[in-house]
Amino acid sequence: MNAVGMNILRFGTPVVAAFLLCGLFFAVAGYDVWEAMLGILEGAVTGPGSFRQTLRWSIPMVLIALGFMISFRTGEFNIGGQGQLMLGGLGAVTVGLLVPGPATLILPLAIFAGICAGGLWSAIAGFLKLRYGADEVITTLMLNFIAVGFIQWVTVGPLKDEAVRGETASTKRVDETLRLTGGDGVSPAMLCVAALAILAAWLIAERTPFGLKSRLVGANALAALWQGIPVQRLRLWAYLLAGGFAGLAGALEVLGPNGRLVTNATPTIGFTAIVVSIVGMSNVPGIILAALLFGGLQAAILFLPIVSDLPNSGLRIVEGLIAAIVTARFVHLRRQKRP
Amino acid sequence: MELLDQFVVTMLRSSTPIILAAVAGLFAIRAGVFHLGMEGLMLAGAFTAVAAGTAAGSVWVGLASAVAVCLVLSVLYWILIDRLRADTVIAGLGLTAICVGGTAFLMQAIFSQRGSMQSSVHLPRPVRGIDSGLLSFVSELSVLTWVLPVLVLMCWILLTRSRLGLQIAAVGEYPYGAEASGVNQSRIRLYAVLVTGVGCALAGAQLSVGDLSAFSENMTNGRGFVALAAMLFGARSPLYTALAGLFFGFADAFGILMQIHADGTVPLQFVLMAPFIVTIAIVCLSSSIGRRQRRC
Repeated sequence: MNAVGMNILRFGTPVVAAFLLCGLFFAVAGYDVWEAMLGILEGAVTGPGSFRQTLRWSIPMVLIALGFMISFRTGEFNIGGQGQLMLGGLGAVTVGLLVPGPATLILPLAIFAGICAGGLWSAIAGFLKLRYGADEVITTLMLNFIAVGFIQWVTVGPLKDEAVRGETASTKRVDETLRLTGGDGVSPAMLCVAALAILAAWLIAERTPFGLKSRLVGANALAALWQGIPVQRLRLWAYLLAGGFAGLAGALEVLGPNGRLVTNATPTIGFTAIVVSIVGMSNVPGIILAALLFGGLQAAILFLPIVSDLPNSGLRIVEGLIAAIVTARFVHLRRQKRP
Repeated sequence: MELLDQFVVTMLRSSTPIILAAVAGLFAIRAGVFHLGMEGLMLAGAFTAVAAGTAAGSVWVGLASAVAVCLVLSVLYWILIDRLRADTVIAGLGLTAICVGGTAFLMQAIFSQRGSMQSSVHLPRPVRGIDSGLLSFVSELSVLTWVLPVLVLMCWILLTRSRLGLQIAAVGEYPYGAEASGVNQSRIRLYAVLVTGVGCALAGAQLSVGDLSAFSENMTNGRGFVALAAMLFGARSPLYTALAGLFFGFADAFGILMQIHADGTVPLQFVLMAPFIVTIAIVCLSSSIGRRQRRC
């Protein structure tokens, strides 16, 4: 069997196993598993408008996962996608609300602001790692919490929408002309932006000196250093790019389906994206497939209560189970020591 | 005076679960396992304490079941990271996701409740009868808060003055050295993860049946990660970790009271963010000192 087939087997097995295990568990718990599985399929693919929902959730996942992939290849474990996503949204909404001008100019500017905000947020962790040796798993985790607080402050303070009196705080809506999509989050423009970003990630990772060097650094940083590769600078760029992609995802959430910055709109997507990146074997085609799978799962989570009495939190178990077992028996992925 | 009273109660209540989880988590982190599943274990403990406690009508059955469930989950986690060599961070995040989904699922499947459920039992509050005066707050503290100092002391002895504690440290710092001197690193890691599981179960139970008499979806709300922060903040020493947990409780109480008696000079969110910023600073400081020492 060739290498690609082996890899698909290796990463596909945990996914299938997780579904089977959870199906068994649901059956034992007394649910009609067949009906639930059909419900999942309907919510993700076959139902009217379902595949649009799958695409809508796949887009942020694929972007954050590609960012994670770029930093993962240099050996950095940047789990701050959630915080970077939020900051990206903040960058985009700030430009969208406060900078006047024609939409053709402001829209790219807002997207760019999102990329920069996410990248800089990630670069904080990168700087602290490279300057002080602070472990990036901890700093990015803490930065996620700080981002939540910061976004809460922004949405109840400076950018608050006074008209909203609901439970969740949010900013004002950006102008309709700045929106890439309607509420369902899929449009030709949105798909074009996503496709461009995927292409960019592929080019960066596979067709540039940066991509090649980053793999070398990830495989053996010391050897790379002796080859004359500026390891520190390369890693900082990896952080910037990872954050940039997550920030782009955040900007697209604001300029697409949400139309505004909402506190805790997508609380688990940053985590899911890490799983997407790992299940996608840290390469671009794999990540696209994995993002479609998990995007479909996310769409099904929102759809399932309509057709089945299976609690939709059950699908979160599937997701967690895939994450728990997907790296099993991979010696080279293992991190021996944590501070 | 009443404000101070309220403040101390809130602080001790908020810090008890964090200290319980953090001090027990030291076993895992000292054994080299960066345990991101703690958040999930706490949630599982919180749910089991309510579910089993309500079913059996006894809070102690609930507590024991919470410990048992967390022990089983910890063994599974150990099998994943040790036997099957899964990545500790990703498997830990997966464990947390399973528990977040699993507790919500079981609450709906068994009790047909969505969002939250009430508990008919709660942990005793042993000290009663002081209704007024400076120390009136003590009657509101659960039994776990009272035994907390003893537990912390026990963990301190276990970690720094016992054979097991030293073996754990050896496995965490230099696994090959530990192995060469005849320590079975797999088994030591199992013990460490099990102790952490017990601590997380107690921490979760304190949240659901000690403090509130209810379970709600995702009620730990990141406290497991805060416990991780407290360990690093406390430089991985049991006593400092307990103090760090107290500090997080302090910030929490400060935030809650500010919400009630807000004057709006400092936004509440910044108060709640402060511990995380301090943690980052501490981690930077401690690792840069570590670097310098290694160089000499």
